[in-house]
Amino acid sequence: MDSRLIQAFSHWFTIGANLLSIIGIVFFIKLPKDKRVNIQYWLPFFILIFTVFYENIGSYTNYNYDFKKAVNAYLGNTEYPQFNLWLYNVARRQLGVILYLLLIQNWLQPAHKEYINWMIYGFIVLVFALQVSGIQPLYLNQPIIFAIGANLILIGSGLYFIGMITHDQYLESNPLRLVSFWQMTIIFFSFSLNYISSVALLYLYQVNPVLGKALQDISNALFLCTLGAFIVTIASPLFPRIFEKEPSYGIN
Amino acid sequence: MESTEDQIYVIIFAALFLGGIMSTFVVAMVFIHRQRQVQNRQKLDFIKSEHEKTLLNIENEIQQETLTHVGRELHDNIGQLLSLAKLNFNSQKPEKQIEGKAILGQIIQEVRNLSKTLNLDWVESTSVEEFLIQQLKKISDTGFCETVFEQEILLEEMDKEQKLVLIRVIQESLNNAIKHASPDRIEVRMMKSGDEKVILIRDNGKGFDTAQRSSGSGMSNLKKRMETIGGEFELKSEIGKGTEIRLVLPK
Repeated sequence: MDSRLIQAFSHWFTIGANLLSIIGIVFFIKLPKDKRVNIQYWLPFFILIFTVFYENIGSYTNYNYDFKKAVNAYLGNTEYPQFNLWLYNVARRQLGVILYLLLIQNWLQPAHKEYINWMIYGFIVLVFALQVSGIQPLYLNQPIIFAIGANLILIGSGLYFIGMITHDQYLESNPLRLVSFWQMTIIFFSFSLNYISSVALLYLYQVNPVLGKALQDISNALFLCTLGAFIVTIASPLFPRIFEKEPSYGIN
Repeated sequence: MESTEDQIYVIIFAALFLGGIMSTFVVAMVFIHRQRQVQNRQKLDFIKSEHEKTLLNIENEIQQETLTHVGRELHDNIGQLLSLAKLNFNSQKPEKQIEGKAILGQIIQEVRNLSKTLNLDWVESTSVEEFLIQQLKKISDTGFCETVFEQEILLEEMDKEQKLVLIRVIQESLNNAIKHASPDRIEVRMMKSGDEKVILIRDNGKGFDTAQRSSGSGMSNLKKRMETIGGEFELKSEIGKGTEIRLVLPK
């Protein structure tokens, strides 16, 4: 086998994500049919598979330089043909944010769900406007779009915590035994720390590449933790002694 | 170089600080959740104990009224029938003996009927509609005033506690009309208003100024009782124009 191909796919993050996807698939198959069609379980599974899919494409672009160069050229980027930022911008910073917002929306009370709908519409319009206007080209780093997306996710997490401390049904349960609580806590941690690290990352790579790489590793580890939280969500119906049934706001 | 190192330290500390704030936030959320959970449980316990207290009061009131009713029946009805039976049995005439036996049979039936009212089991076997018809018949039988009952809807079966409270509120509303309003006519309607089921109790009696009601009046007690079973109590009255009580039933 081509050693470059092995090298492209042998990063610990890619290997970790692929392993998690296999575990996720096993648990998802083991779920009863009624759970598999429930958005609380299929959406985290979808995000997990989608993430692993684009991470593998990312690894492939590092192997197949011609493919990466061709896509960059198609998008109008001939200056930096080695970049594969277009993939992460679309998959993680745009579609990923929308998927995470939909996931958060799932745990919110009906009135707050409406806010998330408006956030998603607003985000789509802003992303479109920023890219079409050339302020944030698709093939370069998109800090404004990432900042907006991360902030929307942090606001969504905040709405979940507000519901948790105010709604009667959440008050009757133990949050430490709720899968939604751990999912939201890890998303909250992951996005806030990723947010600050992404702000400093380019600067750090220039002045102290070792520290920059360390910060990138922390960010990747947190991302794997988020995927791990999705697996716990998918597997939670199989462990009813550990996790409590999620409180319902009456509308699913 | 030194300033670059400082900047790196700032970034590290900023990340740690942010991580600390995040952790504090989540721990604080769990802590607030626990506090609110305790408060919520206390609130629920309070509501439950209030509900139980209301039920107990209602049961006591009904028992008290039942005892008064039994006492009155024993004295005015059964006592009189027994005296009559004694007179008949003391006579040597065979027709009087037969009449005495018939009176004895009537007494046995009266005692059976009376014994049924001694516990609250009748609440389970009687529907609200039947109770209303019974109460209105009692009022009209006394010749106190004319009564009308209109049923536009059928009520779903309620649990015993809810029914007990509702029956007591209806009974109290009718008693108030008889005691204080001196009406010529009492009208009860079971109807639907929007998606709510309502019992309307209307009289054409004296009425009263609702603004004059004191906070500790029986009406506010009835309102509270309806609220404990998830219903509503609304009252409209004007001097000279009668009184209308609207009982919105629990869903």
